[in-house]
Amino acid sequence: MADDNKALALGLKRRDPDLLDQLIEQYQYRLFRYLLYLTSSRERAEDFFQETWIRVLERGHQYDSKYKFEAWLFRIARNLVIDWQRAKKMQSLDALTDPEEGAPMEFAAQNQPSPLHLVLTAEEKSGVHASLDRIPTVYREVLVLRFQEELGLEEIAGVLAAPLSTVKSRLYRGLEALRGAMQGGAA
Amino acid sequence: MNENLHASAEKLIAQERIEGISQSEREWLATHLRECPSCTQVAQQTSAALSALRGLPIPLPRGLAARTQFRVQLRAQEMREREPKRRLLWIMCAMSWALGIATAPYVWRAFEWAGERIGMPKLVWEMGFGLWWTIPALVAAAVVVLENLRQAHERDQAR
Repeated sequence: MADDNKALALGLKRRDPDLLDQLIEQYQYRLFRYLLYLTSSRERAEDFFQETWIRVLERGHQYDSKYKFEAWLFRIARNLVIDWQRAKKMQSLDALTDPEEGAPMEFAAQNQPSPLHLVLTAEEKSGVHASLDRIPTVYREVLVLRFQEELGLEEIAGVLAAPLSTVKSRLYRGLEALRGAMQGGAA
Repeated sequence: MNENLHASAEKLIAQERIEGISQSEREWLATHLRECPSCTQVAQQTSAALSALRGLPIPLPRGLAARTQFRVQLRAQEMREREPKRRLLWIMCAMSWALGIATAPYVWRAFEWAGERIGMPKLVWEMGFGLWWTIPALVAAAVVVLENLRQAHERDQAR
């Protein structure tokens, strides 16, 4: 694993085109899924997906082989979303904080169905997709990173650039919110 | 049953999935769940929610990877083409510094002579000498900043 990461870091430093092609193939689903949950928009997720890989190319030399590649990748993707959001002056990234501390990051307009909701099939809308769509992005993000991407708590803290205690607290609240939302959907 | 017991059980149900729990906590929870239908329901709902989340399909846009690979290759090519220019800039900058160090005593005397000749205060010609030294670094920094601004602009347009 450590050797694999070292080889990966070396390849990224050299901007090895074959390695980049392979990484794009390998992580396309996971990265796109993460971006989709983060942005709630298929088009934006696609844009950020491409931009993320451009950043990986440009900043490959910054990858530290001590850490999982996917954690670094998600962090780049997240920072791009944050930069875009800041540029649009919608909310600061710290709005990706607890809803108690400020409004959660949501790209969808308040009174309209979110783009995530619009891309779902009718069947999906009645299930876990709809439940996820109902919970704040800050919780959705950590749930996706923990239970879909199976990152460790410290890795998630690295992606979010947040303290471990914040990650845990969001996970507990997120899990409760997901369970509640799924119960609400089922009722 | 004591409400605190239910609260503890619910906390452990979540903790088990988020952080993990100790063996003794697991045993206590298992015993509690055998006796408590409401907490068992919470545990089942939590498992069902996570299982649904893990198995959630996301439709991937067609050709996304290929389009991205193409863009990345284009950008890589662009970067490769710019590398020699950037290298030349750093070489020139380094040569300029080396030359600056080698000629510093003579340039100092030249500034001193010129300063005395036109009656300039010592502090002014000394500052002029300092500025003379920073010119290569300032030029290189300006080139890098302009280059980065141009790249950011290109990225914004591409988006």
